[in-house]
Amino acid sequence: MEGSIEKFIFTLIVAIIILVIALLHVAYLTYAERKIIARMQQRLGPNRVGPRGLLQPIADMLKLLTKEDITPYGVDKPIFYIAPFISLVCAGTGVALIPLWENLILSNINVGLLFILALSSLASYGVILSGWGSNSRYAFLGGLRASAQVISYEIAMSLSLLSVVLMAGSLNLMDIVKAQINSPYKIYLIPQIIAFYVFIISAVAECNRVPFDLPEAETELVAGYFVEYSAMRFAIFYLAEYFGMVIMSALAVTCFLGGWVGPFEVPYVPFFWFLLKLYILLFIYIWVRATLPRYRYDQLMGLGWKVLIPVALINLFLTAFLKLIF
Amino acid sequence: MNWDLIIFYYLAIVMIFSSVFAIFSRHPIYTVLLVLIMIIHQAFLLLTLGAEFLTVVQLIVYAGAILVLFLFVVYLINLRKETKRNIFIKKISIVALVFLLLSAILIKNLFIFLSLSPSFKAYLPFNLEEKPNVWWIANYLFRNYLLQFEIIGVILLVAIFGACFLIRKVKIVEEK
Repeated sequence: MEGSIEKFIFTLIVAIIILVIALLHVAYLTYAERKIIARMQQRLGPNRVGPRGLLQPIADMLKLLTKEDITPYGVDKPIFYIAPFISLVCAGTGVALIPLWENLILSNINVGLLFILALSSLASYGVILSGWGSNSRYAFLGGLRASAQVISYEIAMSLSLLSVVLMAGSLNLMDIVKAQINSPYKIYLIPQIIAFYVFIISAVAECNRVPFDLPEAETELVAGYFVEYSAMRFAIFYLAEYFGMVIMSALAVTCFLGGWVGPFEVPYVPFFWFLLKLYILLFIYIWVRATLPRYRYDQLMGLGWKVLIPVALINLFLTAFLKLIF
Repeated sequence: MNWDLIIFYYLAIVMIFSSVFAIFSRHPIYTVLLVLIMIIHQAFLLLTLGAEFLTVVQLIVYAGAILVLFLFVVYLINLRKETKRNIFIKKISIVALVFLLLSAILIKNLFIFLSLSPSFKAYLPFNLEEKPNVWWIANYLFRNYLLQFEIIGVILLVAIFGACFLIRKVKIVEEK
């Protein structure tokens, strides 16, 4: 019994450390986004708080923490209060399942991949409930769009990940990385380039990012489903969105880019390659945001149902067929 | 009192109460949320039995897809509050009969359940430690129950055709 308590405390400490590191990543992702987009638009970006504006995310956080938490008239209070937390918990729990390194994974369960998909589908509750509970037309429309979008793109995402599962023969994320190391190309990006493509597009759509940010399109809906939120609750939604980006990128690194493995070992930093790949993918997210215009809603649905799902299905059958032959 | 039992009673009590409240709730969104709570607890009950794959499938299919669709429908018809009180309990004799029959089944099963040994693993036809969940389910589904599986697939396909047909019909009417 004592051993299990020690193990519990150890896991708890590691979990807190990983959570803090992930939160710092999320905070500085907002900073990186503002800086990179500013550079791409020939501006300077945040540069007042600290050297080169490096303390900007902390200043933002303090500002949001100390602001007044407004509850608008006519909202459904329990739902209005609980919705941001549903979003954050569903977005953040995925960190526990991502293998950062061979010996560094918080929860190595056999169905890790499916669990992350389950969490991402549960995350739509936060969006739908906040849209419904806010008693606002903008939030309502945003929630409606978000739920339809998330349900549609989840299918394409699951199908693209299924072909990876077929190749690895396991749903355990650790086993998927190990299967990639033993495969001839070392990473699944090369044989599964179509699945990777589908996955990245649907991950962008799942996170409600540009060019699929219709649920929170500023020019149409002010801020979409979280338009009525202020102060900390708004910050939690913001955090959940960026957490979603980090988790989706980490999942792509794990399933397609070979996890922690690199061309050579970096001494003392075993997860160097993991972080590098993660940063490249996050940069692509921001790059896409700075480059592409927003889709129309029917185009978004058409892309999801008529292009991505058939492509992912064909890729899945092809993978199964090739696996059967070789 | 070991941890397994405490967890089981917690899950069971929450499941019973959330389903009862879901039935008596007059607010459609709260009903869906209470059912969601019930389904999540049910999923974790499966987890305590070592059925991790079923847990995740329960979360993805029921919580992530079906209930979201329910919520979507409630959303679209915008039911703020159910004001109409429906009186469907008119024939109290039939209700009593159904209630008694269901209770009889429940009590009979309760006796069977009490006579079983507390370890569920004694009843599993396979060893969970040997191979992962998914392997066993696939093995049973695609060997022993392949025909039933295919029949369900065909039925679902027919349902999809039906849905597509309904949509088509509306479009043709509009064109005329």
